[in-house]
Amino acid sequence: MRHRGGQILLHAILIGILSLTLAPFVFVINNSLRSNSEMNHAFFGLPKLGHDLFSGYRYAWEVLRPYTLNTILVCVVTGLGVVFVGSVSAYVFSRCRFKGKDSLFLAVLAFMMIPGVLTLVPSFLWVKQLGLLNSHWVLILPYMAGGQVFAIFLFKSFFDGLPGELFESAKMDGAGHFRLYWSVVLPLSKSVVAVVAIVNILGTWNNFLWPFITNSDAKYHVISSGLFLMNQSNVSSNYATMFAAYVLASIPLLILFLYATKPFMQGVTSGAFKA
Amino acid sequence: MSLHRFVRDIRSCRVSVRRSQIASTAAIYAMLTPTFGLLAVFSLVPFVWAFVTSFFDYEVGGESRFVGLANYTEYLHDPTLLSSFGNLLFLTAFGLAVVMTAPLIVAKLIFSLKSERARYLYRVLFLIPIVVPGVAGMMIWQGMIYNDTGLLNETLRLFGRDDLTRGWLSDPRTVLWAVVFMGFPFAGGINILIYYAGLAGISESIHEAAELDGARGLMKFFKIDVPLVMSQIKLLTILTVIGTVQGFEGMFILTKGGPGFRTMVPGLWMYMNAFSFQRMGYACAIGVILFLLILSLTVLNMRYFRSSEELTAEAI
Repeated sequence: MRHRGGQILLHAILIGILSLTLAPFVFVINNSLRSNSEMNHAFFGLPKLGHDLFSGYRYAWEVLRPYTLNTILVCVVTGLGVVFVGSVSAYVFSRCRFKGKDSLFLAVLAFMMIPGVLTLVPSFLWVKQLGLLNSHWVLILPYMAGGQVFAIFLFKSFFDGLPGELFESAKMDGAGHFRLYWSVVLPLSKSVVAVVAIVNILGTWNNFLWPFITNSDAKYHVISSGLFLMNQSNVSSNYATMFAAYVLASIPLLILFLYATKPFMQGVTSGAFKA
Repeated sequence: MSLHRFVRDIRSCRVSVRRSQIASTAAIYAMLTPTFGLLAVFSLVPFVWAFVTSFFDYEVGGESRFVGLANYTEYLHDPTLLSSFGNLLFLTAFGLAVVMTAPLIVAKLIFSLKSERARYLYRVLFLIPIVVPGVAGMMIWQGMIYNDTGLLNETLRLFGRDDLTRGWLSDPRTVLWAVVFMGFPFAGGINILIYYAGLAGISESIHEAAELDGARGLMKFFKIDVPLVMSQIKLLTILTVIGTVQGFEGMFILTKGGPGFRTMVPGLWMYMNAFSFQRMGYACAIGVILFLLILSLTVLNMRYFRSSEELTAEAI
């Protein structure tokens, strides 16, 4: 595949697979601009100019705006929490010596083995008893509890790889653990922070079932549960609105990716993801 | 400096060292408190509660009654048992076949490009689908492709094959295939990046040595690339199996397990028992069974599936 013809063939195959992969989304964008009567008249076709192209978007945004704000709030608080709690614990496990360290670390890792399907029902019963149903906390706290485990794992392996002299010289200057963590370790860890934050935001953004069962009050719906309920309601008979909603629901993450593609790709490509 | 003062200094120093050690041990445990507090409240309690509840007959608001293993024995005779585990087997087999081929092939194709910029561009473009929320992705396939007036049926009508059109998600003969083919050609997302990382980690000298030995094209792919990305294959295998055994969101959104129990899976039946029939104890018993299944599959995978490091170590 090193000669020119081979390269052109490679491009052709890749573009073919890529088009199939992205085709549904192209159809969605196209049809979000077409009215029901246009769709019924002909499934394949471009939007007709001259009428109000964006009516679907306006209506969808009216419904989705509070859900989007809720999701962003939950994502930001969860992400900050996981990065902070995860990195502090990982710092302790990586750089401090104390009794029971190894067994405590193993205990943390053991929580990765608990599948969500086992704890879904009892978690619901438990947060109901705690009186957390219909609030942002019912999402944030369990997400933080679950998300921090993988974060601790990633942060610790990164901190373990930092050169020891760095810590020795900072300690000579009289820096305590807090100073070491805040002004030496964190500034060096931007790429890991980015990976942890993005993986977390992706997970939070996509989570559907937990918000669906815990927050029945429309005030606390997030994007995923909101979209599902929208699809179940009579809004769904208007195709353009539904398709516009799918597009709108994807835009925040698209923006995140425009900013974070590089650190994310580096993080995933660094070889941390293997067994 | 008087001896007296020297001794005093040393003593105070020792005291301060001890004090700072005590302080820092306390500080260490204080710094770990958020982690263990969150884990205890939101992970450990539900974990224990799942097992306990599974031995009870329990409805929300009603009385709970200890029933021993009755929930488990009842599940052995459950009308959905056969079809749901059969579906699970099918979904897992299909998922594994997909995750071991499509993203690996695409990653290899991208990696074979000469231009560094083109390789980067394709990786970014194939990543785009992950910005679409999972729920939206499924509903897009449902509404855009499988719908009565969706892409599949309209394409068939375009070619005059109206006889083949159907409700792809309501016809019992097609529904399972329709579900697993969502996301075709299965190339979008981060799996490509994971394989790509594995391929990029293979040193050039191994390829050169293989070429000197006369290995070419496909043979090189199977003899060099595949064994050396075994770590990535292993990871994605574990994740796929775990994800499929506990996954039911797709069925919940698309089919509710129907028509009949044609697309029922154990997780969805657990969900329905808990939240539609209010049978919390029975639901927890199904959850425990799925947990044990996942645990044993993970252990089997760890024990019998060789990663590339282990393969290399054995070859040496």
